[in-house]
Amino acid sequence: MPMLEIAGLSVNYGGIQALVDFNLHINEGEVVTLIGSNGAGKTTTLRAISRVIRTKSGTIQFNGKDITRSEASSVVSAGIAQSPEGRQVLARQSVYDNLEMGAYIRNDRKGILEDIELQFNRFPRLRERKAQMAGTLSGGEQQMLAIARALMSRPKLLLLDEPSLGLAPLIVREIFGIIAQLHAQGVTILLVEQNAKIALQHADRAYVLEAGRVVLEGDAKELANNERVKQAYLG
Amino acid sequence: MDITVFVQNFLNGLSIGTVYAIFALGYTIVFSILGIINFSHGAIFTLGAYFTYFLIGGLNNGSGILANAGLPFGLPFVLAILVGSLMAGFCGVLIERLAFKPLRTRGADPLLALVSSLGVALVIVNLVQYLIGAEILSFPSNVFGEFVNQNPSINFNFVDPSRPIPIRTVQIIIFAVSLVILVLLAYLINRTKFGKALRAVAENPITASLLGVSVDRYIFLTFLLSGFLGGLAGTLVGTSFSISGPYFGVTYGLKGLAVIVLGGLGDIPGAVLGGLVIGLAEAFVPGDFSAYKEAVAFALLFIILLVRPQGLLGRRLIQKV
Ligand SMILES: Nc1ncnc2c1ncn2[C@@H]1O[C@H](COP(=O)(O)OP(=O)(O)OP(=O)(O)O)[C@@H](O)[C@H]1O
Ligand SMILES: [Mg+2]
Repeated sequence: MPMLEIAGLSVNYGGIQALVDFNLHINEGEVVTLIGSNGAGKTTTLRAISRVIRTKSGTIQFNGKDITRSEASSVVSAGIAQSPEGRQVLARQSVYDNLEMGAYIRNDRKGILEDIELQFNRFPRLRERKAQMAGTLSGGEQQMLAIARALMSRPKLLLLDEPSLGLAPLIVREIFGIIAQLHAQGVTILLVEQNAKIALQHADRAYVLEAGRVVLEGDAKELANNERVKQAYLG
Repeated sequence: MDITVFVQNFLNGLSIGTVYAIFALGYTIVFSILGIINFSHGAIFTLGAYFTYFLIGGLNNGSGILANAGLPFGLPFVLAILVGSLMAGFCGVLIERLAFKPLRTRGADPLLALVSSLGVALVIVNLVQYLIGAEILSFPSNVFGEFVNQNPSINFNFVDPSRPIPIRTVQIIIFAVSLVILVLLAYLINRTKFGKALRAVAENPITASLLGVSVDRYIFLTFLLSGFLGGLAGTLVGTSFSISGPYFGVTYGLKGLAVIVLGGLGDIPGAVLGGLVIGLAEAFVPGDFSAYKEAVAFALLFIILLVRPQGLLGRRLIQKV
């Protein structure tokens, strides 16, 4: 049984169809990427999984449990964390407090402190800036914080929305290095990217989304050699 | 000005200023979470005072349909003020559920929330008038215990007691209570998990829910806290002067608005500073001009906004394109 299974999902914004009869599944331990151009519906998919937008029809099952009508907060408790598009760090709270907020659903004080330490080891730059207001971090540092914060809830499934957005190539490589590490540690990841090249390099499987519909899916390495994908996304 | 009069005005101003501060914080926390001004906050202030008055066993000497009515018991004042303020807090929650939430879930313009809260304020005022009446209700002079009754004021000139600086004991008590509340609130908002989550919701509700914070629950708690602060302020002012009738909270409601705009909309330290500034400014109005005391807050607001449109501590609004 897949960890996450989305079946027949449709989402509308007013009159606009953002997702149409969308199907996707993720097995435990996989890194699955969802690629597509601007406005394809990638962010909408992640918002639907995290239950911060209304869905029109279809179901979302997580570990066999239907979460299609769950509260956003209980989706986090169920084990799904998101690093949202545009990072969305809490600008007026310190780096440290942002990490603590990532562990909002947890109450094991000791475990939380250990995990903060773990994030600082993973992203040493965050340790140096732990007392700094998150809003004053650079874009790359904010991205690291957003990922670290999402990891603080000890998620079973990590949703990443365009971690490479607006970052210099060197930082992008650093961030994807961490994603590869997480993959090796067995973290299950749904990675949304516009940068198809690097996303396909790091994923096991991939879905290509166009105007709210899945047009291609399959093994990431195979898709990277697919003519259509090459033309549209790897050009 | 004579130094003793100066010190006396200063201490009185500090006392009423801290009450303004806790009252205004009720506006501020709602504003920072929902971006709306809750115009019924003045009515909550009134309700808190009435609740406490009746909880200590006070009788209704008004002419409303509940004339001469009273509770068959009287709580000790400390308990009554807590319960009364908590009841005011739940009235705040009720107002949120009836007047704000339906608009919010329909995605209505925040301006409509302002109008609906103004409507709620009118309903409350009229309900109080209908049930209780328009008469003044006075708290017994010994609500704080015999100590206060026997010592209506304390001489604050510890250096030269022969030149007394008398401060009414009730002023000292409301200052102490307000100060304790301010300290607790600062701790709650800055140091606790509750406060951090509350600030997260204020900054970005969607992000907060992605972290597992139940935004709805925090809105509930915000209105509970806001109403509590409003009701507590009403009770404190009521014991210091008296409950002047159903319109008791109206002037304080407006003054509270002046306080938050002066301090910077949505800014917590700003609301405290604004409260102190207005309290002190009022205390220094010379006796001959005391009729104009109520106008001081607004005159001050006008002058300060000319110089600093974002208020004393407010962040300058970033122009959105
Ligand atoms: N809040 C909204 N209201 C109305 N339409 C929206 C809203 N959010 C997204 N849309 C529309 O839904 C479609 C899908 O948007 P979505 O944000 O999911 O795209 P995306 O694939 O994440 O794009 P990008 O790569 O630019 O982030 C777009 O046409 C967009 O204009
Ligand atoms: Mg997007």
